[in-house]
Amino acid sequence: MKNKLSYSYYPGCSLHASAREYDESTRGLFKALRIGLVEVPDWLCCGATPAHNVDELLSLSLCAKNLELASGVEGDLAVACAACFSRLKTTQHTLAANDDKRQQVAYALDGPLAIGKSVKHLLEILAKDLGLEQLSAAVQKPLSGLKVACYYGCLLTRPPDVPQLDCTEAPTIMERVIAAAGAETVTWSHRLECCGANFTLSRPGVVLKLSGDILASAKRAGADCLMVACPLCHGNLDIRQQEIEAASGERYAMPVFYMTQLLALAAGVAPGKLGFDSMITNPVPLLKEKHLL
Amino acid sequence: MSRIGVFVCHCGENISRTVDVEQVAQAAGALSGVAHACDYKYMCSDPGQNLLKKAVADHNLEGIVVAACSPRMHEKTFRKAAASAGVNPFLVEMANIREHCSWVHEDKAEATAKASDIVTMLVERVKKDKALAPITVPVTKRALVIGGGIAGIQAALDIADCGHQVVLVEREPSIGGHMAQLSETFPTLDCSQCIMTPKMVDVANHPNITLHTYSEIEQVDGYIGNFRITVRKKARSVDMGKCTGCGVCMAKCPQKKIPNNFDRNLGTRPAIYVPFPQAVPNTPVIDRENCTWFKTGKCGVCQKVCGPGAVDYTQEDELIVEPVGAIVVATGFELYSIAEKPKGSPIKGYGEFGHGNLPDVIDGMTFERLASASGPTGGKIQRPSDGKEPKQIVFVQCVGSRAREKGISYCSKICCMYTAKHTMLYKHKVHDGQAYVFFMDARTPGKGYDEFWRRAVEEEEAVYIRGMVSRLYQKNDKIVVMGSDISVGVQVEIEADLVVLATAVQARSGADSLAQKLGISYDGYNFYSEAHAKLRPVECATAGVYLAGACQGPKDIPDSVSQASAAAAKVMTLFARDELEREPIVAKVVDRYCVGCLACKKVCPYGAVEEKEIRDRQGTLLKVVAFVNPGVCGGCGTCQATCPSKSVELDGYTDEQIMAMIEAL
Repeated sequence: MKNKLSYSYYPGCSLHASAREYDESTRGLFKALRIGLVEVPDWLCCGATPAHNVDELLSLSLCAKNLELASGVEGDLAVACAACFSRLKTTQHTLAANDDKRQQVAYALDGPLAIGKSVKHLLEILAKDLGLEQLSAAVQKPLSGLKVACYYGCLLTRPPDVPQLDCTEAPTIMERVIAAAGAETVTWSHRLECCGANFTLSRPGVVLKLSGDILASAKRAGADCLMVACPLCHGNLDIRQQEIEAASGERYAMPVFYMTQLLALAAGVAPGKLGFDSMITNPVPLLKEKHLL
Repeated sequence: MSRIGVFVCHCGENISRTVDVEQVAQAAGALSGVAHACDYKYMCSDPGQNLLKKAVADHNLEGIVVAACSPRMHEKTFRKAAASAGVNPFLVEMANIREHCSWVHEDKAEATAKASDIVTMLVERVKKDKALAPITVPVTKRALVIGGGIAGIQAALDIADCGHQVVLVEREPSIGGHMAQLSETFPTLDCSQCIMTPKMVDVANHPNITLHTYSEIEQVDGYIGNFRITVRKKARSVDMGKCTGCGVCMAKCPQKKIPNNFDRNLGTRPAIYVPFPQAVPNTPVIDRENCTWFKTGKCGVCQKVCGPGAVDYTQEDELIVEPVGAIVVATGFELYSIAEKPKGSPIKGYGEFGHGNLPDVIDGMTFERLASASGPTGGKIQRPSDGKEPKQIVFVQCVGSRAREKGISYCSKICCMYTAKHTMLYKHKVHDGQAYVFFMDARTPGKGYDEFWRRAVEEEEAVYIRGMVSRLYQKNDKIVVMGSDISVGVQVEIEADLVVLATAVQARSGADSLAQKLGISYDGYNFYSEAHAKLRPVECATAGVYLAGACQGPKDIPDSVSQASAAAAKVMTLFARDELEREPIVAKVVDRYCVGCLACKKVCPYGAVEEKEIRDRQGTLLKVVAFVNPGVCGGCGTCQATCPSKSVELDGYTDEQIMAMIEAL
């Protein structure tokens, strides 16, 4: 393998807390693929949804600071969380187009801005930098027979022009990546619908409806499991799944995997290192049924 | 020149409110060379013009400056008045003290000073004006109409009825255009075929119309009154002289599975075909890409069964040259497709609507074919996937239109009305069905249009939901429409059997390359540009080329027909005289100085610059210089400004005149 890829890495808060398994599986996968991953020292919260809803300058400054910190580490900046990815990209996009805001942020950070770091989502690194052929070649345990519903959520491809990851309304990058690991993907309707996001705290009823629709759609399409790239989506679809079942009277029992969990499993990383035990909807029966454990 | 008259106009109060016109006249009177100066309330009125004529006689004036409005407004008026008083009309200049002065300033003293300056400059300019004579060009009284849709047909018939020859060129095998595909038309619900086909037959039978179908414009040479058009007649593979239109070839053709484009691919057709039964001419054409004979060299059934022996596989494209004096462009439109667009295209598709991969999501024109009595279902509303009659149908307006994020910001104009019509046609055929319409605004400015829309809502019970649709997806055998109802602020989900998208009206693909052949301009969406949005709406900036129909911008049938008749009237105006008189404000090249770099040719927007060879008496080539064809030159002066050797001069705007104006300040 010609791999000499190496990245700076911004895990974001979730990956050090509720989405620990996303972080662990990302590190495991990259190690298996022999891609370097160096965590940015002393990184800050990206501001997530609260900051940009309350104070745009704060939200831009937090991300600009993170980009500045990242500039001290070699390699493009790898980001796993869809929301962190969106905030970092939005900051670059906004500041590139607006001199006033640039000046304000530079003033807030007390110095000239260093925000030029290329920000890449893991999907981009796997599909474009590494390439699907290389990814495929690294597979030791193909995910044959596993029917995966790839769930993008709101932020991976939107708003148009900002993330530039794939087609805004009809992306295929997740499907291409997981198919390279031998999984089967299903065609389904709710790949890009909102899961309810932060309403999980303030108006959980909204989440039960929206995430319930997503689970129903995936089930209708014959999926065995969902694959996500966002800790908040994961929380709504996995942690709330039993409540959704209770509210709707439907039985789903549908494991919700982070993309890196499935890819790392395929790349031969020991299952014990992939955090399957921290998922609420138990994936073990499914993985056993498909002879993946 | 030393006997100049200056006439300062009040323009009611338009000028005199901010400019002391009396003072301007007084100051002008003191200028050297000015023999007479006065002011008047309305110079353009009859008494005002008489004042000018009388002054010419009384003071023996040799040049005239009218200080009033823009030359675009009244230059012609005063030139005519001067000519009738015996002064060469090109010795009249307008000093624009309205648009350039009184309308844009508030301080009277300053505005008055500026008005005086403008007048002084024009006085200097008129001193160096030369008497010019109008240029005459012979006119070929024969018109070319490009496009055989309703606009082209109307223009061709009008011109031909006036007694002039018309060459009508149509790209498809039959004339008829989009209107031939429609079922019934708003706001009267009369059958499109019934009002269209007689006109198509009139075209075919008209002694003054030469019809070239299955043909395209290859090349355009010449200029107003004297164009030479090269038309490519594509090989039809059927001899039009021999074919009787019996249709045996089509019935016997073994290849019958080709999607029928005329029916929006709902049905199929054979490889030898006429697009629809009422086609004009009723002569089939072989679709060589799909014909077994042309693909494999085997078959030949149509040739064997053709009684008159009209099928001719050896036919080749033919280039013919048609001399014409005027061109009417009526190339129409095409509908936006929601399919994925190539990367980098400014126009985006609709991934959220499945990029066209959901069979029961169709566009408005496909619905027309479903509703048409001559369509693939015989007028029964049946959805494409399984032929079931839809009981819940959802129409979505503004798909592509008014959607900047999708790359199109304009309104397609016809969709509100045809969607209202669709809901009615649906209700007339499916009595127990329910139609829903997602819309942003209902735009119904036209005679009887709003009443028609209200009828759809109030009598035909279409449910109009104000809001956009965010996603369409297949759920079992239904299409789920996810949208919003912004009037009550709720999200809406409808499980529909069929969804009809009112997709945007776009310029024809290839509109830009035709425009380049014709030398006409087009906008960012490839719609052709008129010379003036309000006052010259059917003329192109390029002399002798006129526009009709949706090639200029989205238009419905009444507007297309009106514009076509207007374009025809413009052509007839041109043909009313044997020679064409043009304003002599044209550029001239001084051969002696021209170095033949032809920079002027590159910048000329009218295509008026040609190459001219200069030879000595023995015929040896001395040099090549630029030559401005006065029949084509629009007098814009771009060449003059571009010429590095200063060897182009625009009459009436010479460098000498412009310098004199500047020095007068």
